[in-house]
Amino acid sequence: MEQNVLLSLSHISKRFKTEQALKDINMTLHQGEILGFLGPSGAGKTTTIKIITGQLRQTSGEARLLGTDSSNIDASIYEKIGVVSDNSGIYKKMTVWQNLYVFAGIWQVSRERVEQVLAQVGLAEHRKKPAGKLSKGQTQRLVLARAVLHKPRVLFLDEPTSGLDPSTAVAIHRMLLELKEEGMAIFLTTHNMEEAAKLCDKVALLHDGEIVEFGSPQEICLKHNRNKKYSVLLEGHRELELDQNPENVRKIAGWMERDEIMRIHSCEPTLETVFLEVTGKELNV
Amino acid sequence: MNSLNGNMQSMEMSAYHSAQRAGNLHKLAAVARIKWLCISRNAMIMIGPVLVIGMVYVCKILYGINSGGTLVPFMRGVLLNIGITMNICAEGFIMVGTSIAEEKESHTLRVLMTSSITGIQYFIGSILFPFMMLMAVNYFVLFISGIPMDIVPWGSFFFVSMVVSLTSCVLGMIVGICAKNQMNANLISYPFLMVFMMVPVFGNMSEGLHRISGFLFTGVMTGMTECLAGGEKYVMSSLDIAVLFGELLISILVFLVLYKRNGYEKD
Ligand SMILES: Nc1ncnc2c1ncn2[C@@H]1O[C@H](COP(=O)(O)OP(=O)(O)OP(=O)(O)O)[C@@H](O)[C@H]1O
Ligand SMILES: [Mg+2]
Repeated sequence: MEQNVLLSLSHISKRFKTEQALKDINMTLHQGEILGFLGPSGAGKTTTIKIITGQLRQTSGEARLLGTDSSNIDASIYEKIGVVSDNSGIYKKMTVWQNLYVFAGIWQVSRERVEQVLAQVGLAEHRKKPAGKLSKGQTQRLVLARAVLHKPRVLFLDEPTSGLDPSTAVAIHRMLLELKEEGMAIFLTTHNMEEAAKLCDKVALLHDGEIVEFGSPQEICLKHNRNKKYSVLLEGHRELELDQNPENVRKIAGWMERDEIMRIHSCEPTLETVFLEVTGKELNV
Repeated sequence: MNSLNGNMQSMEMSAYHSAQRAGNLHKLAAVARIKWLCISRNAMIMIGPVLVIGMVYVCKILYGINSGGTLVPFMRGVLLNIGITMNICAEGFIMVGTSIAEEKESHTLRVLMTSSITGIQYFIGSILFPFMMLMAVNYFVLFISGIPMDIVPWGSFFFVSMVVSLTSCVLGMIVGICAKNQMNANLISYPFLMVFMMVPVFGNMSEGLHRISGFLFTGVMTGMTECLAGGEKYVMSSLDIAVLFGELLISILVFLVLYKRNGYEKD
């Protein structure tokens, strides 16, 4: 096995009573890598996280986390991983500081580390506030702070930025990138394609319990860039969309020479259009 | 040579285990701290012991006024019974049960379980503070009930009080494991309350109830306090011991069976 593989899934499937939630999931996560699990609601993102972190048992297949099979995970694995689920709770009656400090007790983390994390998520001035009084974004940051308090090797985040305003989301992205720099591997789920494209080294497009596309956001987009197109805005506000062919190239060159072009860009697909394309196809089958 | 190696190994092993145990103590302490912070801030729960002590104290004064300052032994027994059973049942089941239900409601139980806290650490951490509270209130009620202290069999009182409080905490864990939220926890507690509180309290009023009461762990406790209130010497019978340990064991078993099935929380 490769040296820095922290997580590997092979042929994971999960069947609930009436439905097949996951079909055949295969993937690996390396140190210092951010992997995004993308998919529409009900695709099986949360189910996957729960299986990997030992909160749910797979029907078949193997998930290895830090060298241990996740079906016989014991509590000590949680000293090395951080988990933020889609409904991770906080102790509302405790202060922000206490919320972190009690977990510092569990992981034997120093006061200084608590201070450090508190500053990192920008909650230092709210330390004395009861956690129940925090805003949604602040609560999410507190949950994140708690999950990284013990410097886990792998961090699992189930929709870390859903329902947050753009500036808080950006702050969280910045923090995740910092953590990645420190060598942490991050596994996150999201509905947000833009976020994934910006943040993730690898993304997996999940649809109906299957990974329909896997790779770096760039790779995926380029792969689906089959018929190249250019969008051109000419003087007089004429907007054109032109396919790549010799005739159009000559046309564009002519406009350029006469300085008639106000705006031009290539129309390669975004993660979002790829996703719609891929999942749309799947639906048509 | 071999045996030396073996010794070395076992020494290393035991060092390893004690280091591990020390680590576990940290986790236990952390859970206990969390529980203390939660329970002590939950007015619904904390009002209980205050109510018990207040009630016993006020009743004592009121009855005392009517009967010229001294309580008849029967009254003393009733007071002590009510105080102690109320403490053990209402406080035990509810304090432990609701605090677990509260953690389910706020989704923090899952957080704890995914932060390297084991089931047994959560169990012990959860009942530590309520257990000490129950013990303390038991003694408090004993002191203010007006029973002459020189007839109290301290050893037996401590022993019975301890086993009974522990049983009540374990029953509270069962309530907690079954409950989905705090309302639900109260609802589940009521049948336990009816049996373990009402039967011993009204035990002195009917022969039938009195007999049943002898087979309940709370009944063993009230049996002892009735003796004390009547100024008699209390001698623990083997039935008492069997009931105490039997019910503690049964409740632990029921808890384990439930825990093995779904953990603390069903997914
Ligand atoms: N405990 C369960 N019992 C039965 N079915 C379940 C259970 N948990 C999840 N499912 C089903 O499995 C499928 C995948 O659910 P999952 O929560 O993993 O989706 P998701 O990708 O996280 O969606 P979302 O983006 O809305 O959070 C859904 O159809 C869901 O109904
Ligand atoms: Mg989900």
